[in-house]
Amino acid sequence: MLSYLVHRVLIMIPTLIAISMVIFTIINLPQGNYYTTYIAELQQSGEAVDLAKIQFLEDEYGLNRPLWQQYIYWAFGLLRGNMGYSFAYNLPVNKVVGDRLFFTFLVSFTTIIFTYVVAFPIGVYSATHQYSWTDHTLTLLGFLGLATPSFLLALVLLYLANVYFGISIGGLMDPQYIDKPWSVSKALSVLAHLWIPVIVIGTAGTAAMIRRLRANLLDELQKQYVVTARAKGVPPLKLLFKYPLRMALNPFISDIGSLLPHVISGAAIVSVVMSLPTTGPMLLDALRSQDMYLAGSFLMFMAFLTVIGVFVSDLALALLDPRVRLQAGRSQ
Amino acid sequence: MSAPTPTRREVIQGGFTLGAALVIPSAPWAKLQETPAFKEEVRGGTLPKIEDRVPEEPAVAELEAIGRPGGDLRILMAGPKDTRMMVVYGYARLVAYTPSLELAPDILKSIDVEGNRVFTLRLRKGHKWSDGYPFTSEDFRYWFEDIAHNRHLAPSGLPITMMPEGEGPLFEALDETTIRYTWKRPNPQFLPNIAGPDPLFIYRPFHYLKQFHEKYADKSNLEALVQRANQRNWAALHNRLDSMYRNDNPDLPSLEPWILKTKPPSDRFIFERNPYYYRIDKEGQQLPYINRVVMSIADSKIIPAKTGAGESDLQGRYLRFDNYTFLKAGEERNHYKVWLWRTGPGSQLALYPNLNVNDEVWQGLVRDLRFRRALSLAVNRHEINEVIYFGLAIGGQNTLLPQSPLYGPQYRSAWASFDVAQANRLLDLIGLTERDGSGTRLLPDGRPMEIIVENSGESTEQTDVLELIRDSWRRIGIKVFAKPLQLTLFRRRVFSGETLMSIDKGIENGLATAGMSPWEFAPTTQQQLEWPKWGQYYETKGAAGEAPSLPPAVRLKELYEGWLAGSSLEDHTQVWNDILQIWADEVFSIGTVAGVLQPIVVNANLRNVPEQGIYNWDPGAYFGIYKPDGFWFEVPETAKSASASSATPR
Repeated sequence: MLSYLVHRVLIMIPTLIAISMVIFTIINLPQGNYYTTYIAELQQSGEAVDLAKIQFLEDEYGLNRPLWQQYIYWAFGLLRGNMGYSFAYNLPVNKVVGDRLFFTFLVSFTTIIFTYVVAFPIGVYSATHQYSWTDHTLTLLGFLGLATPSFLLALVLLYLANVYFGISIGGLMDPQYIDKPWSVSKALSVLAHLWIPVIVIGTAGTAAMIRRLRANLLDELQKQYVVTARAKGVPPLKLLFKYPLRMALNPFISDIGSLLPHVISGAAIVSVVMSLPTTGPMLLDALRSQDMYLAGSFLMFMAFLTVIGVFVSDLALALLDPRVRLQAGRSQ
Repeated sequence: MSAPTPTRREVIQGGFTLGAALVIPSAPWAKLQETPAFKEEVRGGTLPKIEDRVPEEPAVAELEAIGRPGGDLRILMAGPKDTRMMVVYGYARLVAYTPSLELAPDILKSIDVEGNRVFTLRLRKGHKWSDGYPFTSEDFRYWFEDIAHNRHLAPSGLPITMMPEGEGPLFEALDETTIRYTWKRPNPQFLPNIAGPDPLFIYRPFHYLKQFHEKYADKSNLEALVQRANQRNWAALHNRLDSMYRNDNPDLPSLEPWILKTKPPSDRFIFERNPYYYRIDKEGQQLPYINRVVMSIADSKIIPAKTGAGESDLQGRYLRFDNYTFLKAGEERNHYKVWLWRTGPGSQLALYPNLNVNDEVWQGLVRDLRFRRALSLAVNRHEINEVIYFGLAIGGQNTLLPQSPLYGPQYRSAWASFDVAQANRLLDLIGLTERDGSGTRLLPDGRPMEIIVENSGESTEQTDVLELIRDSWRRIGIKVFAKPLQLTLFRRRVFSGETLMSIDKGIENGLATAGMSPWEFAPTTQQQLEWPKWGQYYETKGAAGEAPSLPPAVRLKELYEGWLAGSSLEDHTQVWNDILQIWADEVFSIGTVAGVLQPIVVNANLRNVPEQGIYNWDPGAYFGIYKPDGFWFEVPETAKSASASSATPR
């Protein structure tokens, strides 16, 4: 088990190095750099550009140097905890990210809880009452949630919430609370705005989760140990929760790996549509404007979380399920 | 200009009368009244009295209605870089355009111009920066000598627009309030540039910036500052803090009506009234009327929805014509009005055949006058107008708009009627008579005539218009394909000659007067999609690109140079007329419709916003020429002012 752990930890290092190279290359694949994109945008809208100043900035940040030099500069900065400089904001990257991280956590965690709370009971119920009309209705609802484009749902809900509840459109709080210290009314305003993104982002995830739980559970329910237990007179609910449901949970544990980066990045498209102060829109913007250090460092951070997440989920799975543990040990 | 001794009232710029319209130095104004928002601070002694804040000779605003001070103006913007829009809207310029597009002194008390060569600027006595320091000729000297001529801050020297024929002006600070620039050759671009929405700032707050300048600052202090700001050297720090246009440094003193108070990054920027602003109304109230401008940042796609929910008091940016019905529906419920202003581009969208296309067969064709005319004749502008713009736009060539004094209907209608038969005749005349099985004409080398129109994929509008053009061009045997590209890539392909045709905005300034530069009509920059390489040749003084080889293009360039050298209104008007005639005959770009309407959402209580206006970048500065410092709220909403006064310190 210990060698398994050490092995897993060591393999994270080359993985991260490889990811950093890929990220940096891909970000720099489009021609030009942040400033050429910026100039193009300005000129498109008819604004004059001070080319001398741009030249100055390009030299200043070494954008004219060969790519590998830029990469090394960036990578070594990262090692020392320096995430680089955002051209768009004229600020160090870590200052830009700021409390966006908090709001992203907030939205994502609430969404995950919402998803679990809705999906679990429905999933279990559909599996135990397979092909009943309630199963069909719930499944239909779930699919509707999955099939509705979330950005459309977002717009509709925003509009309705504004017309009927007077909630300001977009964002996570009423505008007057932005940049203000926390207070009860600010928290209430956040709560009033939070439910829309949570429902919108949640519905898509809910359907998928219901289906997965239902399928896993159905597999288990037909197994012989369940039949045996039932024959021996174990009460149905106790039986359900003690054996098949636990078995059906494995896929969720292995999901933690992808959950962590998801929590950080949020649902980018919905966040853009709803103009949430989360990290998703910022990343998208950075990528589009080739603000390479902001985008790169942020992606790197997410890659790091993914790697950690996968590690944690492997650990949890090994703890939870002896089969995984034993097989892993054997293959080493 | 023949008059050898110009007086203050002399006609400047050959055509723009001075002073009379906006600023009458001796105009009577009542005794100055203290601004309610500042009463407390004045009583507490933290702010000087109004008599000591306003210049001795303030600018007196001509307003439709005298207003009452107070209130917050909420606006929506799409990104942190949009803080610069407050410099555009604020529109405090040394010399500014009036709503009738004449140049008049604004920050300046007056300006004397001799033959577009000698410019004597007079400041208002007692004019102060937003932090209370005097605004003097020293601020002009600092920019000219210590910034523009400092090789670290400005490696390439003076801005190109101050260097006619490569020669800069002689700078003289005659006294505290008088500055003179003397060029050897006329520089007619000087004043229009100063009056632009992103102006040529020829002054800087010396008292603030000198602490970051190598020449004035204490070395060890400066080094510490550079270190603390995480910058590489003093020049980088200076450049970063010196953001008159970018407007992202709350510490930088300003002359604008509202000054930034929020340190970026933020999703909500507060701009507070400038206590030392130089304009007052006739009753002696200091402008701006509105206490604060609150700029909320939201994604550009959600801004129409937010505006429709009444979350903006003054919005034009990021609204599009197709949002009109939605916005109108919310008018009653959310207490705003939707007005439609005309936009200023010469054509909403225009097609640009690339005269520098690499493909030789095509190059021969697009350089053929008859071919360009045929393409233009086969565009059904009426249909585009009706289908996409509800018939509210004006069809025609990509040229000046009727509001421009230089406008002639013949320029707009030339080769712009829908006449498929004549277009076909012209194409037959060129010799493109062979057709393939589907009726598409064949090029001389046998390829079918398929034109790929590239665009920057900014909006669906471009593809919609192209869809209509495709139908009508099919009738002259030409196939059209639309190809959206990422903006940078799009431009790169045009510049390198890979693109055969592109669709984009028409000429930017459809409202030009004779005093404005006709650069858009001549090959002067690489940005011009119809002849990028010829433009680049001019821009780089022959170092890159190709010399124009088509006689009319050469002629346009000569005319443009004639405009630059001209010093009188007659010269400039003559040049403009010649240019417009050539432009109309040659159809270098194919216009569709112009004067598309821009929805402007205005809070129902906001006064002095004109119901009909022009929404344009340059000249216009969007709301700038209507001087938002004179906008005011008739019924200051109690709820709003309460929340403003109880606001926690920022």
